[in-house]
Amino acid sequence: MTSPSSTLGKLITGRGSRQGLWLLPFIIAIAMALWLAITTSQFGQWSNLTNLVAQGMPLLITAVGQMFVVLVGGLDLSIGSVVSFTTAILALDLPGYLTIPGVFLFAGLIGATNGYCITRLNVHPIVATLSMQYVVLGITRVLRPVSGGTVPDSVRWLVEGSIFGLPLPLFWGVVTLLVAWKLLYGSRYGLHLFAIGGGVASGSNDAARNFGIPANRNILLAYVICSLFAALAGLFLAGRIVSGDPNVGLLMELDAITAVAIGGTQLSGGVGSLHGTVIGVAVLALLSNGMNLLNVTPFVQTAIKGVLLMAVVALQSRKKIGL
Amino acid sequence: MSALVNSTLFRRVSKVPPSYYLLVVLLVILFIARPQMLNANVLGVFVRQVVPLGILVLGQLLVMRVKSIDLSGGGVILLINYCISSGIFPGASLGFYVVLALAIGLAIGLFNGMMVAKRRVSAVIVTLALSIVLVGFVQYLSSGKPPGDVPKIFAELFNTRFIGLPSPVLFWIALTALMALLLSQTVFGRCVAAVGESIPAAHFSGVPVERTVILAHTLAGLMAAIAALVQTASIAVGSVRVGLDLPILSVAATILGGVVFGRGEGGVWGPFFGVLCFAFLFVVMTMFGVGDAGKLVAQGLIILFAAIFYGLRAGK
Repeated sequence: MTSPSSTLGKLITGRGSRQGLWLLPFIIAIAMALWLAITTSQFGQWSNLTNLVAQGMPLLITAVGQMFVVLVGGLDLSIGSVVSFTTAILALDLPGYLTIPGVFLFAGLIGATNGYCITRLNVHPIVATLSMQYVVLGITRVLRPVSGGTVPDSVRWLVEGSIFGLPLPLFWGVVTLLVAWKLLYGSRYGLHLFAIGGGVASGSNDAARNFGIPANRNILLAYVICSLFAALAGLFLAGRIVSGDPNVGLLMELDAITAVAIGGTQLSGGVGSLHGTVIGVAVLALLSNGMNLLNVTPFVQTAIKGVLLMAVVALQSRKKIGL
Repeated sequence: MSALVNSTLFRRVSKVPPSYYLLVVLLVILFIARPQMLNANVLGVFVRQVVPLGILVLGQLLVMRVKSIDLSGGGVILLINYCISSGIFPGASLGFYVVLALAIGLAIGLFNGMMVAKRRVSAVIVTLALSIVLVGFVQYLSSGKPPGDVPKIFAELFNTRFIGLPSPVLFWIALTALMALLLSQTVFGRCVAAVGESIPAAHFSGVPVERTVILAHTLAGLMAAIAALVQTASIAVGSVRVGLDLPILSVAATILGGVVFGRGEGGVWGPFFGVLCFAFLFVVMTMFGVGDAGKLVAQGLIILFAAIFYGLRAGK
């Protein structure tokens, strides 16, 4: 048995934990929310809170997807393009029963291509998804060079409507988290992801496979899941901006990675948690919302986001050098 | 597929970095379609535009060979461009700016190296975060507006020619040759190769792994600073957007040149020709009326195929 103080120390730094460092970001998020509630009058208003949820939702959905590939020691840089691509397809003026399943089909294909290149063709995840980012962005710009078009009314209602007085964006978040929770903690697949990632992080790529886990198939599936979540975020954004925009997803992959990293998920794989990612998203959303309320210029917001990311990542210890 | 991969022909063909093949294809296309463009003057102008990218690639290939990555180049270029063009150092001479830029580059590179090697932070995250901080900082200082003009001497130097070739291009070739010497002739070069092959093996053979990674990152920062000076001279004005896509492009050119994480078959000249490929690729595609969207797709597919080409070999 360890003494209570060292248990607390481990909990705060996340050392030796499979969930990583999540308590500190959680405290930061709570402190930010409290501080904003005290210093600004607008923060606690219903309209601001619903706005906060709606603004943070695409980030939450993409970050949850990104976490799946980060857990197996990968990285998906193509999700920003997938988001833009989704809005472009939805704004093609085709009926919704065609385009909505269509975007998920295409996203699944993109994810499968990423996964296939990484697992079978031995391409580094950063390289494979970076080139996919270019290809998908290029196709998006062919489909829709500038923003425009209209999305089906059903998509619009799914984002703008409300049930029982609760805004619908909230339900998108609940569904996303339930699906992710089931996949990560309620299935064999989730355990396999942690096992594969743990092996990759400690330097032996075959560790999980030697225990009979189909590593290649599960990693490929993680990229498919990540792309599907990106398409879901694209669907949500299309409903919010009511048009297709080739630039709407620009740099979204970086925000998603930032949120995942702030939430304590380690980029070398195997360590991380769903609640950590939610906390990471909350920190980023509160940061941008709060600084808008306090009239801080967006440039300073960018800089603070970078400092925060670096500080949180520097606090985590790991063995691996490099990527 | 595996029969093809294991054949002697494939092995022999795949020894040469993909950038060489692509460059030959591009030059042949240029020769057939526009033979009048194939003279030193016109080509020199095209090549001159990619010199900042080419210099950044020299740093990138160094860090990629020790299984790291440097995405902070965009921030370094922006910061140095701001220092030169905003007039915060009135009356400063060219020498002062050069020393200032090199000092900034060394400091940022050293910081990256310490964070990656000592703190063991993910290189993607730390260099990306640093770039985000620098970009935000510069845009805050300049309130998002282009800061001002660059001293005339920069543009004058950039436009000079030496034995018929633009001097930036010659400068780039000289730096590349220096880097090639550094990697092939010095102890540091051997350490880089050993660390790239396997970090534990290098460690147990007595290679100072941490010091090698730190030095690689510091040199990459220095290269980013030199790239920033050349880039600033080439656009000759201050900007808050300049060079932001260069880090990603430099990764792409490095891979095209046959250097992937931890492996350095392409040496220094493979990535050099990778950069030349990008210069001519855009010329050829513009010539055939391919728009920006098509260029993005082509760029992505080329990087992917280059990486698959190497991945297939490494996997067997």
